Amino acid sequence: MLTKAAASVSASVTAATATYSSSKSLLSLNQSHQLLCLKRLSSSHSISALGIKWRISNFRYNHKMETFRFTTKASAQPLKNADELIDSVKTFIFDCDGVIWKGDKLIDGVPETLDMLRSKGKRLVFVTNNSTKSRKQYGKKFETLGLNVNEEEIFASSFAAAAYLKSINFPTDKKVYVIGEDGILKELELAGFQYLGGPDDGEKKIELKPGFLMEHDKDVGAVVVGFDRHFNYYKVQYGTLCIRENPGCLFIATNRDAVTHLTDAQEWAGGGSMVGAICGSTQREPHVVGKPSTFMMDYLADKFGILKSQICMVGDRLDTDILFGQNGGCKTLLVLSGVTSLSMLQSPNNSIQPDFYTNKISDFLSLKAATV
Amino acid sequence: MSRRAAAELLCGVNLRALLDSVDAFLFDCDGVIWKGDKLIDGVPQTLDLLRSKGKKLVFVTNNSTKSRTQYAHKFTSLGLSVTQDEIFSSSFAAAMYLKVNHFPPQNKVYVIGGEGILEELQLAGFTALGGPEDAEKRVHLKSNYFFKHDKNVGAVVVGLDPHINYYKLQYGTLCIRENPGCLFIATNRDSVGHMTDLQEWPGAGCMVGAICGSTGREPIVVGKPSTFMMDFLLQKFDINTSRMCMVGDRLDTDILFGQNAGCKTLLVLSGVTTQSTLDDSSNSTQPDYYTSKVSDILTLLGE
Repeated sequence: MLTKAAASVSASVTAATATYSSSKSLLSLNQSHQLLCLKRLSSSHSISALGIKWRISNFRYNHKMETFRFTTKASAQPLKNADELIDSVKTFIFDCDGVIWKGDKLIDGVPETLDMLRSKGKRLVFVTNNSTKSRKQYGKKFETLGLNVNEEEIFASSFAAAAYLKSINFPTDKKVYVIGEDGILKELELAGFQYLGGPDDGEKKIELKPGFLMEHDKDVGAVVVGFDRHFNYYKVQYGTLCIRENPGCLFIATNRDAVTHLTDAQEWAGGGSMVGAICGSTQREPHVVGKPSTFMMDYLADKFGILKSQICMVGDRLDTDILFGQNGGCKTLLVLSGVTSLSMLQSPNNSIQPDFYTNKISDFLSLKAATV
Repeated sequence: MSRRAAAELLCGVNLRALLDSVDAFLFDCDGVIWKGDKLIDGVPQTLDLLRSKGKKLVFVTNNSTKSRTQYAHKFTSLGLSVTQDEIFSSSFAAAMYLKVNHFPPQNKVYVIGGEGILEELQLAGFTALGGPEDAEKRVHLKSNYFFKHDKNVGAVVVGLDPHINYYKLQYGTLCIRENPGCLFIATNRDSVGHMTDLQEWPGAGCMVGAICGSTGREPIVVGKPSTFMMDFLLQKFDINTSRMCMVGDRLDTDILFGQNAGCKTLLVLSGVTTQSTLDDSSNSTQPDYYTSKVSDILTLLGE
């Protein structure tokens, strides 16, 4: 079936100059088929036209395709000399889900590792794409798990959304419609913005019958979309109407993670799902404030006065955490305690290579001991 | 990149030429024949006129919420005489896609969408899960909670679903990510549509976008602008596509479908597309003709 699909696409693309329809038919194949077709078509004269059509396509642009075409980094090295890495940086940025905890369960050895790094004078920062909680609420979670972390050291994508609006001087007389959870609402409130939506709209129903008109607030100047377990058609329509009909309305995404470990037992559809829905109904791409966008990196580097080259980003996800670190010019360490396995890292389909990889962050302690 | 000539405004002269050169008219439904459950003015008389001139009429809709049979009932309730085999809905297309690709009947299909998809799948002999009954299901994100999914699901079909919720997103996501070889099929990707007469509502493009977002995969699209449905149309009607005219309200589905299949194309401005969208420099899809609504055919011929 793979060969048949590749042959039919190759025929349609080389038969004529690349058209919207042929790029769409290519896009209708799954990702591995697409990669195969691109490899086969790379000698064809139509590839550049196809590439241009790809960039202006209405479909969500898969960044894996982008990295496939442009860069090849050296392969990630297994972390052997933890001391050398620790001594070479001044700050560690940690992702949370899959690095510090999984759901509500702390990962083994984390408290001791963080204590060790602090004792060596390292600054610790926690950057999470999970927008369900505010910084304050995350502070409580850290405390409940017995970790000594200050609210000021936490940067959640919920905070990032509010900070972004502040950074662009979003007028306080304009409102923000939220497709997301409590964390976003709390951060918007703290930043002095008026908001609508959030969990309350989870119970709202619509009836598609003649004469029914859904009204929306014309003062909404931004729609913020993040993970939302109470996602429904009412919210999609409200957000869609604001974005399509309110002039200049911003479309902001806290993050686009495809799946996330909301419980320790399995993966769950992530913020990328809700954001994808609004992209589908508005045919617009959002401004992403969470990883891999460097907005949070720039913010904390500025706030703490730290050089990005002296930061090591530690995360479990290649297309958010590691890309975030690389985009910021930091060192990067992938841990295999979360969503990424060694085989995924080493797969020929993967083009994102961190500097180092290791099983979990407590390896800093055991590897350290081994080098003594 | 080829640039098409700008669309011609339909008038008495070019309409007569069009009628002479086509044997069949393919009509989109939402925004062309009706808006929600309200018929657009002048449609019945126009369809009667075209039939009286010996033209075949076919209805090709991306709206997957109804099956062909259910659409036939809708036409009847609106006073239009249209039979089931003149209707090609994307719900039917999804079932046919699985059939022509020999989807094993022992594998199941998970549906994020309406009754229409379930009915067409069952008619084609497949076992469907999900659909409207998953609308009331909720998830519990707690430590010991495990969300189960059927390992025998071999395809997830996603269409317009006004009852979309997190349960369905998670179910579809797990099937696509964890069941080896699971297909991801989209009935269509329309961004918005006139689900009611007064305004536009998010279309299947929304639900499909959600699943793309959680799986990182692109779907197989069976509805317009994919020409998949045309193959079935051609089996039924022995007419060359160059002697067909596609009439629709959306550039990136209806008109593109018509162009991809080699038909003539007529855009009507009674639905989602306005004159300014058509004329905008960022638009590269130009139909052969455009007019304000279907009943202009009647009016222009009366001149």
